[in-house]
Amino acid sequence: MPRRKDEPGFSRRSFLKTVGAGGVAAGVFAKAPGVDAQGVNAVGPGPVPVTLNVNGKLLRLEIEPRVTLLDALRMRADLTGNKRGCDRGACGACTMIVDGRTVYACSTLAIDVQGKKIRTVDGLASGATLHPVQQAFCDKDALMCGFCTPGFVMASVGLLEKHPNATPEQIKKGLDGNICRCGTFSRVFEAVASVSGRGARTSAGELDADATPLNEGVQRG
Amino acid sequence: MANPSDRAAAREGAGESEGRSPDQRGSERAEASEPRERRTPAERRAREGAGESEGRSPSDQQRGGAPQAPPVDPKYNWSSTPKTVVGTRVKRLDGPDKVSGRAKYTFDVTRPGMLYARVVRSPYPHARVVSVDLSGAERVPGFKTALVHRDLKDPKTAVVMYQGDEVAAVAADTEEHAIDAARAVKVEYEVLPAVISVDSALAGRAPEVFTPANVRAGRTDEAGDLAAGFQAAAFTIDETYSTHVITHVCMESHGTVSEWDGDKLTAWVSTQGVNSARDNLASGLGIPQTNVRVICQYMGGGFGSKLQLGPEGLICARLAKQAGAPVKLMLDRKEEHLVTGNRPSSAAHVKAGVSADGIITAFDAESWGTGGAGAAAGFPLPYIYQVANRRRAHKDVFINTGLQRPMRAPGHPQGSFNTEIMMDELADKVKMDPVEFRIKNLPPEAPNAMWRSYLREGAEAFGWSKRHATGDTTPGSIKTGMGVAICTWGGGGRGPSVAHCEIGSDGSVIMRLGSQDIGTGQRTLVAMVTADALGLQPSQVTPEIGDTQYGVSGGSGGSTTAASTSPGIRIAALKALEALNEKVAPALGVAADALVARGGRIHVKDTPSKGLSWAEACKRIGPQPITADADWQPGMTSATTSGVQFAEAKVDIKTGIVRVTRVLAIQDCGLVVNQLTAESQCYGGVIGSLNFALYEDRILDRRTGQMVNPNMEWYLLAGMSDVPQIDIRLKNMAERGVIGIGEPPTVPTAAAVALAVRNAIGVTVRSLPLTPAKILQTLSQKA
Repeated sequence: MPRRKDEPGFSRRSFLKTVGAGGVAAGVFAKAPGVDAQGVNAVGPGPVPVTLNVNGKLLRLEIEPRVTLLDALRMRADLTGNKRGCDRGACGACTMIVDGRTVYACSTLAIDVQGKKIRTVDGLASGATLHPVQQAFCDKDALMCGFCTPGFVMASVGLLEKHPNATPEQIKKGLDGNICRCGTFSRVFEAVASVSGRGARTSAGELDADATPLNEGVQRG
Repeated sequence: MANPSDRAAAREGAGESEGRSPDQRGSERAEASEPRERRTPAERRAREGAGESEGRSPSDQQRGGAPQAPPVDPKYNWSSTPKTVVGTRVKRLDGPDKVSGRAKYTFDVTRPGMLYARVVRSPYPHARVVSVDLSGAERVPGFKTALVHRDLKDPKTAVVMYQGDEVAAVAADTEEHAIDAARAVKVEYEVLPAVISVDSALAGRAPEVFTPANVRAGRTDEAGDLAAGFQAAAFTIDETYSTHVITHVCMESHGTVSEWDGDKLTAWVSTQGVNSARDNLASGLGIPQTNVRVICQYMGGGFGSKLQLGPEGLICARLAKQAGAPVKLMLDRKEEHLVTGNRPSSAAHVKAGVSADGIITAFDAESWGTGGAGAAAGFPLPYIYQVANRRRAHKDVFINTGLQRPMRAPGHPQGSFNTEIMMDELADKVKMDPVEFRIKNLPPEAPNAMWRSYLREGAEAFGWSKRHATGDTTPGSIKTGMGVAICTWGGGGRGPSVAHCEIGSDGSVIMRLGSQDIGTGQRTLVAMVTADALGLQPSQVTPEIGDTQYGVSGGSGGSTTAASTSPGIRIAALKALEALNEKVAPALGVAADALVARGGRIHVKDTPSKGLSWAEACKRIGPQPITADADWQPGMTSATTSGVQFAEAKVDIKTGIVRVTRVLAIQDCGLVVNQLTAESQCYGGVIGSLNFALYEDRILDRRTGQMVNPNMEWYLLAGMSDVPQIDIRLKNMAERGVIGIGEPPTVPTAAAVALAVRNAIGVTVRSLPLTPAKILQTLSQKA
C-alpha cells in the first residue's frame, strides 16, 4: 500500500502533530511489503522484475526492491516531471496519483504499486493542451522556480478530482502537504480556487483568518 | 579589486545615477554612501565573502572593473519608445514547460552511460582525518570510481571543520549503489574539540579552534557624541536582540552533471551564475575557461546559495574524468542543510536613548553573529534610521558549522529585526505611535527613500488607526496586534552583460545572453524587453539563456539581474531594428530613421498605413540574419529601493502559537518590467520572511554540534494554511529605470510580525524565531 497523503488526518501538519504527540498513528505507514503473519517472504536484494502502469502505459523494469516509485520513474524511465525535494515524504515535490489517491512517490516503493494506476505530471497534459489546473497555474503565476510545481499540480488535481467544488478550507488542507520555498502559496491558492469553480477573489488567508483554530498551526517537535 | 572599498568606488564610478536630475543623483549618492560608511570592516568582509557583492564571482568583479561605461545614447533609453509590453502582466513563457514537467532541471539531466555519485562527509564538527580506506567501496556491486577529497599528509587539509565537510566521494552505476559504496568507505577520524556555541566562544569558554582566535573583532564605527546623546535622552533602553541561523532549503538541491569530451568539460549545474560556475570549474580543475561549458536551463531555487560552485561541482567533474563517463552528483536534503550555506546569526546588545519629543539621541551597540567555521556575519545596524550620535562594535564569532552564504538580502533581515524591535520599545517609552516615531527618525524623503509616504499610505490602507496600544486587553486567550517595519536594498545594474539579437528573414527573433533564471522569470523578461523594443509580442521572441556559450552576464544575485540584463537586451534589439529599417526604408521610399516598429509592423512614424508587416519587412533581410550585440550601459537603471510592510497577527497566549492574518507590502523597484512576476517576488519575499519569523531554525545539538533537524519535517516551513492574506502595492517608478526586486520584500516581514506579536501580547520577544515555547516563556516572565 503506498504511503497516502490524503488519508483523513494525514496532512503534513497533522502528521507532525501525531508524531509530536508521541507516536505514529496506525495506518499512516502500511505494513512492509512481503511481511505477513507467517514471517518474512523476502525479495531481492538484487534486481527483480517490476511492472508499472504509468500514465496508461505499461513499464517493465528490473530494479531492486528498495527502489522508490519516484526513483524508478525518474532514473529508469526518464519520467523526470515529478521532483525529489526532501526524499522523506515532507515536501510533496514528488506527489503522484496512484489509484486516484495522491501519494508521496519518494516514500512509496515501486514494487508496491504494481497493478495500480500511476499518474505523474508527465502524463497530465494532452499533447500541447494543458490540464485546467496546469493552465491555471500558468495564468495566475502560481510558480516561480517551478521545482515544487509538478507536485503542487498533482496534489491539486488529486484534490479537485475528489472535491470538484473544493472550498477554500479544503484547498488549503489538501495542499498543506506540499512546500514551496519561493513562496507561491497565495497564487497557487488562487489558481486552484479558480479551477474549483468557486472563483478566486481572495488570497490564501482571507476567508478563514478566524475560522481555523489556532492550534492547527505548525507544531514544533 | 579585492579591496571592498575599491569595489565600492568602482560601483560608485559605474555611474548608476547618470541620466537623472542632479537632485536625484545627490540624494542617491548620499543614501548609497551612507550605509557603506557605517559598515564595520567585518561587515564589509561579510558582504565580500557573502558576495553581497551582489552576487558576483571574482571574475565578474574583474570584468566589471571598467569603471566608466559610456552613458546610453538617448535614442535607446526607455523613454525613446512607447512601453507596449514593459510594465504589463505577461505570463511566464516557460510556465507550460514547468507545469507539465517538461522543463529539464539539472536534477533531471540524464546522459548516456551516466554514473551517480555520492560524497562521504564528516559526521563530526571538528576532526582530523587519519585515514580513508576506499577498498570496501570498490567491492560494492556497480562501483566505478572513488576519490579522497583532501590531502591527508597536509595537516591543514586533513582537518574537517564542520559536520558534512567533504572527505571522499564515489561513483557507481546506480544511485543506490553509490549510496552503498559511500557507506562502505572507511574513514578513521581523530575527533578534535569543537566550538559549538556562540555564547561559549564569546565568553572564552570554548576550545581554541580558529586562528588567531574564535572571535574576530571588527572596526568600531562611531559618529557624533555618544555621551551628549545619552545626556539629551529622556528615556533609555538596554536590551539584546538576536536572530538565528536558517538555511536556504532550495527545493532543487545543489549539484552537477559532468561530462568530458577529451579535455573539454560540459557541466550542467544548478547555479545562479553559469559564467561564475564556469570560472570556478576552470580554476578549480586547472583548465582553461574555454574548455568548460556550463548549462543551466532551469534551476530549482538558489536564494544566494548557488552563486558559488560548491566543492561538489569539482568532485563531480573529477569523478567523471576518472571514470571516463558522465557523472551526476546531486546532494540530498541533509547535505543541503549542512554544507550549502546559511543565513548567519546576529545579535546586538543595544543601549539607546530617546528624547521626549521622539528623536533617537544615542545608539550604542555591541553586535556579533556567526557565519560558521571562519565566515563573517555582518549586518547593517542601526538599520536605515538616522541616529546622530552612535557607536557600533561588531564581532564575528566562528563555530564549527557549515559556512554561511549570501541568503536573500544578506544582512538586512537581521539588521531589520535588531533595529525595528528597538524602535517600538523606544516609541513606547515616549508614548508615540510607531509609524509617527519612525517618520521622525527616518532620513529625508527621496526617490530611493520613500518610507515616509509609504508608511502613511500603508497605515491608511491597513487600518492602522484601529491598532491598540501595546498589549491587547480584550478578554480571552486570542490576542491580536499590528506591527510595521521598513526595508531598503541596492539592486541596480552593471555590466558586462552582453546580449545578442538575431532577426531572421522569416521574422523570427532570438535574444541570447549568458544569464539564467533563478525562478524570477528571466526568460520572460528577456522576451518582454525585446518585444517591447521591436513592437512585437513576447511570444514572437525566442529567449535563449542558461548557457556559457551565450556570452557573458552576471550572476542572478543581489537583485541585479533585471537591471543588469535589460539595457543590453533593449539596445541590441534596437540596433538590430536599425539594421532592419535600413533594409526596409528603400521599399517605403523614406529614410531609415523615419521608421518605427509598432504593433507588429514597421511603418513611417506618425503614418501607420505607410509600412509593412513584420513578416513582410523581414523578408528583405536575405539569407544572412541581422545580428546586433550590446552591453549594459548607464542611464537605463538605477539603484536602491524602499519598502514598508504592515503585519497583523493573532497569538493564542495559552499555546503560544502565532498566526499571521494579514500582511501589506508596499515596495518600489524602479521601472517595473513584468508586473505579474514582480508581484510574485513580493509574495515570495513575504512568505520567506514569515518562515524566518515563525518556523525555520537550524538547531544544533549542544553537545555534539550536529544538526538535529537536517530534513524538511523538523526544519519547519510554512504550508498553505500558514500563509496570511498578502496585499501587494508595487510602486512603478519608471523614471528611475530598472532596479530589481528579488530581495527587499523579504527584509521587513519578520520584524513586522514580531512587532505585531508584541502589540498583541504586551511583552517583547527579542529573538527569532517566535516559537510557541519562547512566547510562553516570555509571557511567564512578565507574570
